[in-house]
Amino acid sequence: MAATNRFLRVSVIFLLVMSACSKSPEINNATMLDGDQLFDPSLYHPEKYLVSVAIENPSAVQKNTPVIIAVHGLSASTFEWDEFRAYCNAKTNILVSQVLLGGHGRTYEDFKKSTWEDWQEPIMTEYNALCDKGYTNINFAGASTACPLVMDLIKKGKIGENGMKHIFLVDPIVVPSYKMLTIIGVTGPMMGYLEATNTPAEEGHYYHFRPQETMKQLMDLTQIIRKDLQKGFNLPSGTGMKVYKSIHDPVAEAVSAVLIYKGLKNSDGSNIDIEMIDSDLHVVTRLAGRDDITQHDRDIQTHVFDDMYQILMQ
Amino acid sequence: MDCERGEIRWFCIIKGIHLLSVNTQVNPVQTNIEMKKKIVLSILFISCVLCVQAQSSGTNDGWLGEFKGGIRIQKAQKLYWENGLSFDFSSPKIADSRIHLGVSYVTTRLGSAIGSNAIKQDNFLISAGYHFRHQKQFQPFIRLNTGYFHADYEEDIFDGLPDQAFLFSIDAGLSYEFRIPLTFSLSAGYNLISGNGSSGPGTLFPVFYQMSLFHTLLTKK
Repeated sequence: MAATNRFLRVSVIFLLVMSACSKSPEINNATMLDGDQLFDPSLYHPEKYLVSVAIENPSAVQKNTPVIIAVHGLSASTFEWDEFRAYCNAKTNILVSQVLLGGHGRTYEDFKKSTWEDWQEPIMTEYNALCDKGYTNINFAGASTACPLVMDLIKKGKIGENGMKHIFLVDPIVVPSYKMLTIIGVTGPMMGYLEATNTPAEEGHYYHFRPQETMKQLMDLTQIIRKDLQKGFNLPSGTGMKVYKSIHDPVAEAVSAVLIYKGLKNSDGSNIDIEMIDSDLHVVTRLAGRDDITQHDRDIQTHVFDDMYQILMQ
Repeated sequence: MDCERGEIRWFCIIKGIHLLSVNTQVNPVQTNIEMKKKIVLSILFISCVLCVQAQSSGTNDGWLGEFKGGIRIQKAQKLYWENGLSFDFSSPKIADSRIHLGVSYVTTRLGSAIGSNAIKQDNFLISAGYHFRHQKQFQPFIRLNTGYFHADYEEDIFDGLPDQAFLFSIDAGLSYEFRIPLTFSLSAGYNLISGNGSSGPGTLFPVFYQMSLFHTLLTKK
């Protein structure tokens, strides 16, 4: 009986500590994406971001124009591919569809409630809408978490033969650099959330607070993909892939590229194309909003955009 | 490292750990050579301790201690199974059998990498553990481990990635000595050095769990 009482007492104290630690973050609504005032602009003006909405009835020429579905990473927003859209607008012969992941671009609570399947849903919605409108040259560019999301769609066969021409993965995450995420199931309830160090320019486009529930979803997703890659699977026929991976990435381990290279093959069994990049940035294609950008970073961004463009034009 | 007495043996242990821990920050060209040196030092260090133990038996009442060998199964939290061999030595002459010295090798080659695309990686470890209740069958223990980690990325394009590291970990668990010459142990540990994106191999994860099953190979008490 005494032992039972002691156990109950310890349990109550433990729960009190846990609940005390799990309090909500202090959100600045005026400056943070986490708040209830700043939302992703694609929610107000989808026609400026989604090709399927922007072009009601595509012409025969438009249907054969390369369309690239550009998808941002976890805790980011459509902002992450704005520079690529500007690059493509200058080229005039590529259409860019910037997809906002489910649960993103809204409030902290919306972000917290979302699952990785929710994040994935708008990718398929835009892809299906483009297919329905008759686009024949659909491509994909994903940053960070968008990469395991599209790999999961491939593994499940939701993107079939000739469904996409080229898939570009920029700093894909399969293994996180921050290894404490591996025990987020234990430490998460005590921490409640993780805090990012955004620059002032990033605050309105990237969540400042990352709920532990969301980080656990990320770990669930990366675990599924890591195991799928461990078993191995192939791209659908008619689809090519190129991976650009920063070597000193503070968010997604460079070894993620090794796992993708070993586990994901072209439809004929040959190796996919990988380029390891000497950079310490995560998502080397996004420089806007960052502090201390060097000429080396700009050169990398230009190189990757040019390389993607050349592949799309082949 | 030609030590013969108990005090000097402790000096050897400390010196061995020191030799393994120095120069952990080396340039990439020298890393391979330095790591190989550390492996050799690890083997020399353990051999020294075991040999001195054996040599000292000539001046006393024969060989004194217990030497066990067996299998180890290791799982990194959210990553691979790494399995291999482990050896454990204890003696009444070393802290009254409370201190256990060990050598082990675990690898994904005998675990997750069998028939899969998992990265082939090897862990070479030496360890020193302290066992509580050392005369009982059921013994809680804590242990310090050090050694060398290597991951094989197989392709030249990944040559720029960190693929080796100095290992330093701590683990704690429970050991059970059966009445037959078998010992079973379970532990959970933490790698104090792990990959973090900017340094260290990416598949060196912090939290791990181990299960070992030893058979007593030599014993004289």
